[in-house]
Amino acid sequence: MTTLVPVTYKGGVYRHDEIMDLIDDLGGYVVQKHVMAQDVVLQSFVPRDDIELIRAVAKPLAGQVTEAPLVGTEIAVVSPSLEIHHLPHTSCDIAEYLRRSGAKTNMVGLARGFGKRIANLNDEERDVINEHDLAVYMLGNFEECIQHKFPVLRRGIHVPIVVTGAPDRETLMRIIDPPVEGYVGGIGRIMHRFKRPEELAKLDELVDEVSRVLDARRDVLAKDPLSVFPPRLMTIIEEELPEVTLLTHPTPVTVQMEGLRVKLPYEYYAPEIRSLEVTEGVTVGDIAEVTPSRMRNYILIRVKPFSETRILV
Amino acid sequence: MPPLNYFVVESPDDVGRRAYERVAGDVLQDLDLIKVIDRLHIYVDPKIPIFVAAGVLRHMPRAIYLGDFANVKRGDTEIVLDIGDETYLAPLLRVLWEIYGKENVEQPDRFTIVLPAGMAGEEDLEQVVVADPSETLHKDVIYAMQYMAPEGFKVRRQYIREGKFYYVASEDTLPDDVVERWVMPLFEKMGVTL
Repeated sequence: MTTLVPVTYKGGVYRHDEIMDLIDDLGGYVVQKHVMAQDVVLQSFVPRDDIELIRAVAKPLAGQVTEAPLVGTEIAVVSPSLEIHHLPHTSCDIAEYLRRSGAKTNMVGLARGFGKRIANLNDEERDVINEHDLAVYMLGNFEECIQHKFPVLRRGIHVPIVVTGAPDRETLMRIIDPPVEGYVGGIGRIMHRFKRPEELAKLDELVDEVSRVLDARRDVLAKDPLSVFPPRLMTIIEEELPEVTLLTHPTPVTVQMEGLRVKLPYEYYAPEIRSLEVTEGVTVGDIAEVTPSRMRNYILIRVKPFSETRILV
Repeated sequence: MPPLNYFVVESPDDVGRRAYERVAGDVLQDLDLIKVIDRLHIYVDPKIPIFVAAGVLRHMPRAIYLGDFANVKRGDTEIVLDIGDETYLAPLLRVLWEIYGKENVEQPDRFTIVLPAGMAGEEDLEQVVVADPSETLHKDVIYAMQYMAPEGFKVRRQYIREGKFYYVASEDTLPDDVVERWVMPLFEKMGVTL
Protein backbone atom coordinates (compact mmCIF):
# COMPACT_ATOMS: atom_id res chain seq x y z
CA MET A 1 0.00 0.00 0.00
CA THR A 2 1.34 3.43 -0.91
CA THR A 3 1.94 5.79 1.95
CA LEU A 4 0.44 9.21 1.51
CA VAL A 5 2.43 12.05 3.03
CA PRO A 6 1.26 15.59 3.69
CA VAL A 7 2.95 18.24 1.54
CA THR A 8 2.44 21.87 0.58
CA TYR A 9 2.85 23.04 -2.98
CA LYS A 10 3.58 26.73 -3.46
CA GLY A 11 3.69 28.19 -6.92
CA GLY A 12 2.09 30.51 -9.39
CA VAL A 13 -1.46 30.40 -10.73
CA TYR A 14 -0.15 29.72 -14.23
CA ARG A 15 -0.53 25.99 -15.08
CA HIS A 16 -1.16 25.02 -11.47
CA ASP A 17 -4.03 22.87 -12.71
CA GLU A 18 -1.40 20.56 -14.18
CA ILE A 19 -0.03 19.96 -10.70
CA MET A 20 -3.55 19.33 -9.37
CA ASP A 21 -4.16 16.81 -12.16
CA LEU A 22 -0.82 15.16 -11.49
CA ILE A 23 -1.58 14.77 -7.76
CA ASP A 24 -4.96 13.34 -8.69
CA ASP A 25 -3.45 10.91 -11.22
CA LEU A 26 -0.87 9.73 -8.72
CA GLY A 27 -3.66 8.85 -6.31
CA GLY A 28 -3.13 11.82 -4.01
CA TYR A 29 -5.63 14.37 -2.71
CA VAL A 30 -5.68 18.16 -2.63
CA VAL A 31 -7.37 19.02 0.66
CA GLN A 32 -7.06 22.79 0.49
CA LYS A 33 -6.41 25.25 -2.30
CA HIS A 34 -5.64 28.90 -1.67
CA VAL A 35 -5.33 31.33 -4.51
CA MET A 36 -3.79 34.61 -3.41
CA ALA A 37 -3.36 37.05 -6.30
CA GLN A 38 -0.71 35.39 -8.48
CA ASP A 39 0.14 32.62 -6.00
CA VAL A 40 -1.37 29.25 -5.31
CA VAL A 41 -0.90 27.11 -2.22
CA LEU A 42 -2.08 23.52 -2.36
CA GLN A 43 -2.23 21.48 0.83
CA SER A 44 -2.22 17.92 -0.30
CA PHE A 45 -1.52 14.27 0.41
CA VAL A 46 0.73 12.61 -2.15
CA PRO A 47 2.39 9.18 -2.39
CA ARG A 48 5.82 9.30 -0.71
CA ASP A 49 7.59 7.79 -3.75
CA ASP A 50 6.18 10.42 -6.12
CA ILE A 51 7.30 13.59 -4.32
CA GLU A 52 10.37 13.83 -6.54
CA LEU A 53 8.23 13.47 -9.65
CA ILE A 54 5.99 16.35 -8.52
CA ARG A 55 9.11 18.41 -7.77
CA ALA A 56 10.40 17.70 -11.28
CA VAL A 57 7.12 18.70 -12.91
CA ALA A 58 6.88 21.81 -10.72
CA LYS A 59 10.42 22.96 -11.42
CA PRO A 60 9.75 24.75 -14.75
CA LEU A 61 6.73 26.41 -13.10
CA ALA A 62 8.90 27.67 -10.20
CA GLY A 63 6.77 25.68 -7.80
CA GLN A 64 8.05 24.36 -4.49
CA VAL A 65 7.05 21.20 -2.71
CA THR A 66 7.69 21.13 1.03
CA GLU A 67 6.69 18.72 3.75
CA ALA A 68 3.86 20.08 5.85
CA PRO A 69 3.27 17.91 8.90
CA LEU A 70 -0.10 19.41 9.80
CA VAL A 71 -1.98 19.00 6.50
CA GLY A 72 -5.33 17.31 6.98
CA THR A 73 -5.77 18.39 10.59
CA GLU A 74 -8.15 20.88 12.16
CA ILE A 75 -6.75 22.60 15.22
CA ALA A 76 -8.54 24.77 17.78
CA VAL A 77 -6.50 27.72 19.01
CA VAL A 78 -8.10 28.46 22.36
CA SER A 79 -7.71 31.97 23.70
CA PRO A 80 -9.03 33.07 27.12
CA SER A 81 -11.03 35.80 25.38
CA LEU A 82 -11.15 37.77 22.16
CA GLU A 83 -10.24 41.02 23.95
CA ILE A 84 -7.30 43.24 23.04
CA HIS A 85 -5.26 41.53 25.78
CA HIS A 86 -5.01 38.38 23.64
CA LEU A 87 -5.62 39.61 20.12
CA PRO A 88 -4.22 40.12 17.56
CA HIS A 89 -0.78 39.08 18.83
CA THR A 90 -0.24 35.61 20.28
CA SER A 91 -3.61 34.24 19.12
CA CYS A 92 -3.35 35.31 15.50
CA ASP A 93 0.38 34.74 15.25
CA ILE A 94 0.07 31.20 16.56
CA ALA A 95 -2.97 30.42 14.39
CA GLU A 96 -1.21 31.80 11.33
CA TYR A 97 1.97 29.86 11.98
CA LEU A 98 0.07 26.59 12.37
CA ARG A 99 -1.75 27.37 9.14
CA ARG A 100 1.57 27.76 7.34
CA SER A 101 2.39 24.21 8.33
CA GLY A 102 -0.79 23.05 6.67
CA ALA A 103 -3.29 22.92 9.52
CA LYS A 104 -6.78 24.36 9.32
CA THR A 105 -7.04 26.44 12.47
CA ASN A 106 -10.09 27.81 14.16
CA MET A 107 -9.77 30.37 16.89
CA VAL A 108 -11.95 29.67 19.90
CA GLY A 109 -12.30 32.77 22.06
CA LEU A 110 -13.81 31.74 25.35
CA ALA A 111 -16.59 33.87 26.77
CA ARG A 112 -15.14 33.75 30.30
CA GLY A 113 -11.73 32.18 29.98
CA PHE A 114 -9.85 35.03 31.64
CA GLY A 115 -9.01 35.46 35.32
CA LYS A 116 -7.77 33.03 37.92
CA ARG A 117 -10.83 32.31 40.04
CA ILE A 118 -13.53 33.43 37.60
CA ALA A 119 -12.40 31.47 34.52
CA ASN A 120 -14.80 28.88 33.15
CA LEU A 121 -15.74 26.94 30.03
CA ASN A 122 -19.30 26.54 28.82
CA ASP A 123 -20.82 23.50 27.14
CA GLU A 124 -20.81 25.02 23.66
CA GLU A 125 -17.12 25.89 23.90
CA ARG A 126 -16.35 22.41 25.22
CA ASP A 127 -18.23 20.72 22.37
CA VAL A 128 -16.69 22.95 19.70
CA ILE A 129 -13.18 22.24 20.98
CA ASN A 130 -13.93 18.52 21.06
CA GLU A 131 -14.79 18.61 17.35
CA HIS A 132 -11.12 19.33 16.52
CA ASP A 133 -8.10 17.07 16.22
CA LEU A 134 -6.14 19.02 18.80
CA ALA A 135 -6.50 22.11 20.98
CA VAL A 136 -3.72 24.63 21.61
CA TYR A 137 -4.44 26.47 24.87
CA MET A 138 -2.77 29.83 25.07
CA LEU A 139 -2.38 30.72 28.70
CA GLY A 140 -0.77 33.70 30.36
CA ASN A 141 2.22 34.86 32.31
CA PHE A 142 1.74 33.60 35.85
CA GLU A 143 2.37 30.07 37.05
CA GLU A 144 -0.14 30.60 39.87
CA CYS A 145 -2.96 31.50 37.45
CA ILE A 146 -2.24 28.64 35.02
CA GLN A 147 -2.21 26.11 37.85
CA HIS A 148 -5.46 27.45 39.23
CA LYS A 149 -7.50 27.92 36.08
CA PHE A 150 -6.35 25.19 33.71
CA PRO A 151 -8.29 22.34 35.40
CA VAL A 152 -11.47 24.33 34.74
CA LEU A 153 -10.61 25.11 31.11
CA ARG A 154 -9.84 21.46 30.28
CA ARG A 155 -12.96 20.00 31.91
CA GLY A 156 -14.71 17.67 29.47
CA ILE A 157 -12.08 18.08 26.72
CA HIS A 158 -11.04 14.72 25.31
CA VAL A 159 -8.95 15.82 22.34
CA PRO A 160 -5.16 16.14 22.80
CA ILE A 161 -4.12 19.45 24.35
CA VAL A 162 -0.94 21.49 23.88
CA VAL A 163 -0.50 24.21 26.49
CA THR A 164 1.51 27.39 26.00
CA GLY A 165 2.37 29.90 28.72
CA ALA A 166 5.14 32.20 29.92
CA PRO A 167 6.63 29.77 32.51
CA ASP A 168 9.17 27.35 31.06
CA ARG A 169 8.26 23.88 29.84
CA GLU A 170 9.40 22.14 33.02
CA THR A 171 7.28 24.42 35.20
CA LEU A 172 4.25 23.84 32.98
CA MET A 173 4.79 20.09 33.23
CA ARG A 174 5.05 20.35 37.00
CA ILE A 175 1.94 22.44 37.59
CA ILE A 176 -0.43 20.73 35.15
CA ASP A 177 -1.94 17.64 36.65
CA PRO A 178 -3.02 15.26 35.16
CA PRO A 179 -0.51 15.84 32.37
CA VAL A 180 -1.54 17.00 28.89
CA GLU A 181 -0.06 15.85 25.60
CA GLY A 182 2.22 18.81 24.87
CA TYR A 183 3.82 21.87 26.48
CA VAL A 184 5.54 24.93 25.07
CA GLY A 185 6.95 27.38 27.60
CA GLY A 186 8.03 30.95 27.02
CA ILE A 187 4.92 32.08 25.10
CA GLY A 188 2.72 34.06 27.41
CA ARG A 189 0.73 37.21 26.92
CA ILE A 190 2.82 39.03 24.34
CA MET A 191 1.66 42.42 23.17
CA HIS A 192 3.70 42.66 20.00
CA ARG A 193 4.10 40.70 16.82
CA PHE A 194 6.30 37.61 16.98
CA LYS A 195 9.29 38.77 14.97
CA ARG A 196 12.49 38.26 16.97
CA PRO A 197 14.45 35.09 16.20
CA GLU A 198 13.81 33.66 19.68
CA GLU A 199 10.07 34.29 19.32
CA LEU A 200 9.96 32.64 15.91
CA ALA A 201 11.94 29.73 17.36
CA LYS A 202 9.17 29.35 19.94
CA LEU A 203 6.60 29.11 17.15
CA ASP A 204 8.70 26.43 15.45
CA GLU A 205 8.86 24.61 18.75
CA LEU A 206 5.08 24.79 18.96
CA VAL A 207 4.67 23.34 15.45
CA ASP A 208 7.09 20.52 16.38
CA GLU A 209 5.19 19.82 19.58
CA VAL A 210 1.84 19.78 17.78
CA SER A 211 3.25 17.49 15.05
CA ARG A 212 4.67 15.15 17.69
CA VAL A 213 1.30 14.89 19.44
CA LEU A 214 -0.56 14.34 16.17
CA ASP A 215 1.98 11.74 15.01
CA ALA A 216 1.36 9.82 18.23
CA ARG A 217 -2.36 9.96 17.44
CA ARG A 218 -1.70 8.80 13.87
CA ASP A 219 0.26 5.82 15.24
CA VAL A 220 -2.72 4.84 17.35
CA LEU A 221 -5.02 5.20 14.34
CA ALA A 222 -2.72 3.04 12.22
CA LYS A 223 -3.33 0.11 14.56
CA ASP A 224 -7.04 0.22 13.81
CA PRO A 225 -7.33 2.10 10.50
CA LEU A 226 -10.33 4.17 9.53
CA SER A 227 -12.82 2.60 7.13
CA VAL A 228 -12.04 5.33 4.60
CA PHE A 229 -9.27 7.92 4.37
CA PRO A 230 -11.02 11.27 5.10
CA PRO A 231 -9.51 13.11 2.06
CA ARG A 232 -10.96 10.38 -0.15
CA LEU A 233 -14.38 10.89 1.40
CA MET A 234 -13.93 14.62 0.79
CA THR A 235 -13.32 14.00 -2.92
CA ILE A 236 -16.45 11.86 -3.14
CA ILE A 237 -18.58 14.50 -1.41
CA GLU A 238 -17.20 17.25 -3.65
CA GLU A 239 -17.97 15.18 -6.74
CA GLU A 240 -21.44 14.07 -5.72
CA LEU A 241 -22.70 17.23 -4.00
CA PRO A 242 -22.19 20.19 -6.36
CA GLU A 243 -23.64 22.54 -3.72
CA VAL A 244 -20.35 22.27 -1.84
CA THR A 245 -18.49 24.05 -4.61
CA LEU A 246 -20.92 26.96 -4.44
CA LEU A 247 -20.04 27.72 -0.81
CA THR A 248 -17.85 30.76 -0.19
CA HIS A 249 -16.00 29.29 2.79
CA PRO A 250 -12.24 28.93 2.32
CA THR A 251 -12.59 25.23 3.10
CA PRO A 252 -16.18 24.13 2.40
CA VAL A 253 -15.20 20.59 3.31
CA THR A 254 -12.60 20.57 6.06
CA VAL A 255 -10.50 17.47 6.42
CA GLN A 256 -9.73 16.21 9.90
CA MET A 257 -7.69 13.24 11.00
CA GLU A 258 -10.73 11.12 11.73
CA GLY A 259 -13.45 12.78 9.73
CA LEU A 260 -14.73 15.80 7.91
CA ARG A 261 -16.63 18.98 8.57
CA VAL A 262 -19.03 19.78 5.74
CA LYS A 263 -20.22 23.35 5.77
CA LEU A 264 -23.76 22.65 4.56
CA PRO A 265 -26.89 22.82 6.73
CA TYR A 266 -27.33 19.55 8.59
CA GLU A 267 -31.12 19.43 8.43
CA TYR A 268 -31.20 19.54 4.60
CA TYR A 269 -28.13 17.60 3.57
CA ALA A 270 -27.47 14.94 6.23
CA PRO A 271 -29.75 12.25 4.68
CA GLU A 272 -28.24 12.86 1.25
CA ILE A 273 -24.69 12.54 2.60
CA ARG A 274 -25.54 9.35 4.51
CA SER A 275 -26.84 7.74 1.33
CA LEU A 276 -23.84 8.73 -0.84
CA GLU A 277 -22.12 5.69 -2.26
CA VAL A 278 -18.41 5.48 -1.39
CA THR A 279 -17.85 2.32 -3.37
CA GLU A 280 -20.13 -0.35 -4.71
CA GLY A 281 -22.64 -1.28 -2.04
CA VAL A 282 -21.09 0.87 0.69
CA THR A 283 -22.64 4.18 1.67
CA VAL A 284 -21.27 6.95 3.87
CA GLY A 285 -23.83 5.98 6.50
CA ASP A 286 -22.30 2.48 6.71
CA ILE A 287 -18.80 3.65 7.51
CA ALA A 288 -19.27 6.98 9.25
CA GLU A 289 -21.46 8.81 11.71
CA VAL A 290 -23.06 11.89 10.21
CA THR A 291 -23.84 14.21 13.10
CA PRO A 292 -24.76 17.86 13.57
CA SER A 293 -21.82 20.08 14.46
CA ARG A 294 -21.94 22.60 17.32
CA MET A 295 -20.29 25.02 14.93
CA ARG A 296 -23.20 26.83 13.24
CA ASN A 297 -25.42 24.27 11.51
CA TYR A 298 -22.62 22.38 9.82
CA ILE A 299 -22.33 18.63 9.41
CA LEU A 300 -19.66 16.67 11.23
CA ILE A 301 -18.69 13.31 9.79
CA ARG A 302 -16.81 10.88 12.02
CA VAL A 303 -15.36 7.94 10.11
CA LYS A 304 -15.67 4.67 12.02
CA PRO A 305 -12.64 2.39 12.44
CA PHE A 306 -12.24 -0.90 10.59
CA SER A 307 -12.78 -2.89 13.79
CA GLU A 308 -16.32 -1.51 14.01
CA THR A 309 -17.44 -1.72 10.37
CA ARG A 310 -15.26 -4.54 8.97
CA ILE A 311 -15.10 -2.43 5.80
CA LEU A 312 -11.95 -0.87 4.38
CA VAL A 313 -12.47 1.28 1.31
CA MET B 1 12.41 49.32 27.33
CA PRO B 2 10.76 52.74 27.46
CA PRO B 3 13.00 55.72 28.32
CA LEU B 4 11.04 56.72 31.41
CA ASN B 5 12.91 58.33 34.27
CA TYR B 6 11.71 55.57 36.55
CA PHE B 7 10.21 52.28 35.46
CA VAL B 8 9.89 49.34 37.82
CA VAL B 9 7.77 46.21 37.68
CA GLU B 10 7.58 44.19 40.88
CA SER B 11 6.11 40.75 41.32
CA PRO B 12 6.79 37.70 43.47
CA ASP B 13 6.80 35.60 40.26
CA ASP B 14 9.99 36.43 38.37
CA VAL B 15 8.86 35.02 35.00
CA GLY B 16 5.64 37.01 35.27
CA ARG B 17 7.56 40.12 36.30
CA ARG B 18 9.73 39.99 33.18
CA ALA B 19 6.70 39.29 31.00
CA TYR B 20 4.87 42.28 32.45
CA GLU B 21 7.89 44.50 31.88
CA ARG B 22 7.61 43.66 28.18
CA VAL B 23 3.82 44.05 28.20
CA ALA B 24 4.03 47.50 29.83
CA GLY B 25 6.78 48.61 27.43
CA ASP B 26 4.81 47.45 24.40
CA VAL B 27 1.58 49.09 25.54
CA LEU B 28 3.23 52.44 26.27
CA GLN B 29 4.94 52.33 22.91
CA ASP B 30 1.77 51.34 21.04
CA LEU B 31 -0.29 54.10 22.61
CA ASP B 32 2.51 56.64 22.22
CA LEU B 33 2.63 57.42 25.93
CA ILE B 34 6.35 57.15 26.53
CA LYS B 35 6.82 60.89 26.24
CA VAL B 36 3.84 61.54 28.46
CA ILE B 37 4.66 59.34 31.47
CA ASP B 38 7.64 60.31 33.59
CA ARG B 39 7.62 57.64 36.27
CA LEU B 40 5.78 54.32 36.52
CA HIS B 41 5.79 51.63 39.15
CA ILE B 42 3.78 48.43 38.72
CA TYR B 43 3.16 45.79 41.33
CA VAL B 44 1.35 42.62 40.36
CA ASP B 45 0.71 39.62 42.58
CA PRO B 46 -1.59 36.89 41.25
CA LYS B 47 -1.78 35.18 44.64
CA ILE B 48 -3.65 38.04 46.34
CA PRO B 49 -4.72 38.80 43.47
CA ILE B 50 -3.87 42.46 42.79
CA PHE B 51 -2.46 44.72 40.07
CA VAL B 52 -1.33 48.20 41.06
CA ALA B 53 0.15 50.79 38.74
CA ALA B 54 1.18 54.19 40.04
CA GLY B 55 2.86 56.93 38.07
CA VAL B 56 3.64 60.54 37.46
CA LEU B 57 2.98 62.37 34.22
CA ARG B 58 5.34 64.76 32.51
CA HIS B 59 4.09 68.24 31.62
CA MET B 60 0.87 68.10 29.73
CA PRO B 61 1.09 68.98 26.04
CA ARG B 62 -0.23 72.49 25.45
CA ALA B 63 -3.29 73.39 23.39
CA ILE B 64 -2.89 73.75 19.60
CA TYR B 65 -3.68 77.24 18.25
CA LEU B 66 -4.61 78.10 14.68
CA GLY B 67 -1.45 80.21 14.38
CA ASP B 68 0.68 77.12 15.12
CA PHE B 69 0.04 75.47 11.78
CA ALA B 70 -1.58 78.08 9.50
CA ASN B 71 -0.65 81.45 8.06
CA VAL B 72 -3.34 84.13 8.17
CA LYS B 73 -3.36 86.59 5.25
CA ARG B 74 -5.83 89.41 5.74
CA GLY B 75 -7.27 91.09 2.61
CA ASP B 76 -9.95 93.77 2.20
CA THR B 77 -12.79 91.41 1.46
CA GLU B 78 -11.47 88.05 2.53
CA ILE B 79 -9.05 86.29 4.85
CA VAL B 80 -6.97 83.48 3.40
CA LEU B 81 -5.64 80.73 5.68
CA ASP B 82 -2.61 78.96 4.33
CA ILE B 83 -2.43 75.54 6.05
CA GLY B 84 1.07 74.28 6.74
CA ASP B 85 0.20 70.99 8.45
CA GLU B 86 -2.95 69.04 7.75
CA THR B 87 -3.00 67.15 11.08
CA TYR B 88 -5.49 69.49 12.69
CA LEU B 89 -7.42 70.48 9.57
CA ALA B 90 -10.58 68.58 10.47
CA PRO B 91 -10.98 70.13 13.95
CA LEU B 92 -10.07 73.53 12.48
CA LEU B 93 -12.89 73.33 9.95
CA ARG B 94 -15.33 72.41 12.73
CA VAL B 95 -14.23 75.45 14.74
CA LEU B 96 -14.48 77.78 11.74
CA TRP B 97 -17.94 76.49 10.79
CA GLU B 98 -19.07 77.35 14.28
CA ILE B 99 -17.68 80.88 14.11
CA TYR B 100 -18.47 81.82 10.48
CA GLY B 101 -21.21 79.39 9.49
CA LYS B 102 -20.68 76.54 7.08
CA GLU B 103 -21.71 78.53 3.99
CA ASN B 104 -19.02 81.17 4.64
CA VAL B 105 -16.06 78.81 4.95
CA GLU B 106 -14.63 78.01 1.55
CA GLN B 107 -11.91 75.49 0.88
CA PRO B 108 -10.75 75.76 -2.73
CA ASP B 109 -8.01 73.19 -2.13
CA ARG B 110 -6.58 71.05 0.66
CA PHE B 111 -4.20 73.69 1.95
CA THR B 112 -6.30 76.84 1.61
CA ILE B 113 -9.32 78.14 3.49
CA VAL B 114 -11.04 81.40 2.50
CA LEU B 115 -13.13 83.31 5.05
CA PRO B 116 -15.09 86.56 4.68
CA ALA B 117 -13.40 89.64 6.16
CA GLY B 118 -14.97 92.13 8.49
CA MET B 119 -16.55 89.81 11.02
CA ALA B 120 -16.23 90.16 14.77
CA GLY B 121 -13.29 88.45 16.49
CA GLU B 122 -11.13 88.03 13.41
CA GLU B 123 -8.20 89.91 14.93
CA ASP B 124 -7.71 87.01 17.36
CA LEU B 125 -7.90 84.36 14.68
CA GLU B 126 -4.35 83.12 15.35
CA GLN B 127 -5.25 82.56 19.00
CA VAL B 128 -8.25 80.30 18.34
CA VAL B 129 -7.80 76.95 20.14
CA VAL B 130 -8.20 74.20 17.57
CA ALA B 131 -7.41 71.09 19.63
CA ASP B 132 -6.35 70.21 23.15
CA PRO B 133 -4.42 66.92 23.26
CA SER B 134 -4.52 66.81 27.08
CA GLU B 135 -8.29 66.26 26.89
CA THR B 136 -7.86 62.73 25.61
CA LEU B 137 -4.62 62.07 27.43
CA HIS B 138 -6.22 61.10 30.73
CA LYS B 139 -8.40 58.59 28.95
CA ASP B 140 -5.38 57.20 27.11
CA VAL B 141 -3.37 56.73 30.32
CA ILE B 142 -6.18 54.87 32.08
CA TYR B 143 -6.83 52.81 28.94
CA ALA B 144 -3.15 51.85 28.87
CA MET B 145 -3.37 50.59 32.46
CA GLN B 146 -6.49 48.55 31.67
CA TYR B 147 -4.69 47.14 28.66
CA MET B 148 -1.64 46.13 30.74
CA ALA B 149 -3.51 44.66 33.70
CA PRO B 150 -4.48 40.97 33.62
CA GLU B 151 -7.80 40.73 31.83
CA GLY B 152 -9.61 38.92 34.60
CA PHE B 153 -9.00 41.75 37.06
CA LYS B 154 -12.33 43.41 36.46
CA VAL B 155 -12.79 45.19 39.83
CA ARG B 156 -10.82 48.40 39.57
CA ARG B 157 -10.22 51.82 40.99
CA GLN B 158 -8.56 54.58 39.04
CA TYR B 159 -7.36 58.11 39.75
CA ILE B 160 -5.69 60.77 37.65
CA ARG B 161 -5.24 64.32 38.91
CA GLU B 162 -2.54 66.96 39.03
CA GLY B 163 -0.02 64.92 37.13
CA LYS B 164 -0.34 61.79 39.27
CA PHE B 165 -2.29 58.66 38.50
CA TYR B 166 -2.92 55.23 39.90
CA TYR B 167 -4.85 52.18 38.80
CA VAL B 168 -5.67 49.26 41.08
CA ALA B 169 -7.40 46.15 39.82
CA SER B 170 -8.30 42.77 41.21
CA GLU B 171 -10.49 39.78 40.62
CA ASP B 172 -11.97 40.12 44.11
CA THR B 173 -13.52 43.07 45.89
CA LEU B 174 -10.95 45.74 46.65
CA PRO B 175 -10.50 46.50 50.38
CA ASP B 176 -11.41 49.99 51.66
CA ASP B 177 -7.82 50.81 52.51
CA VAL B 178 -6.46 49.76 49.12
CA VAL B 179 -4.93 53.18 48.45
CA GLU B 180 -3.16 53.36 51.84
CA ARG B 181 -2.01 49.76 51.69
CA TRP B 182 -1.01 49.30 48.07
CA VAL B 183 -0.82 52.60 46.24
CA MET B 184 0.87 54.98 48.68
CA PRO B 185 3.93 52.77 49.22
CA LEU B 186 4.53 52.76 45.46
CA PHE B 187 4.40 56.57 45.30
CA GLU B 188 6.83 56.68 48.24
CA LYS B 189 9.26 54.48 46.32
CA MET B 190 9.11 56.96 43.46
CA GLY B 191 9.75 59.81 45.89
CA VAL B 192 6.31 61.35 45.47
CA THR B 193 3.46 61.80 47.92
CA LEU B 194 -0.08 61.31 46.72
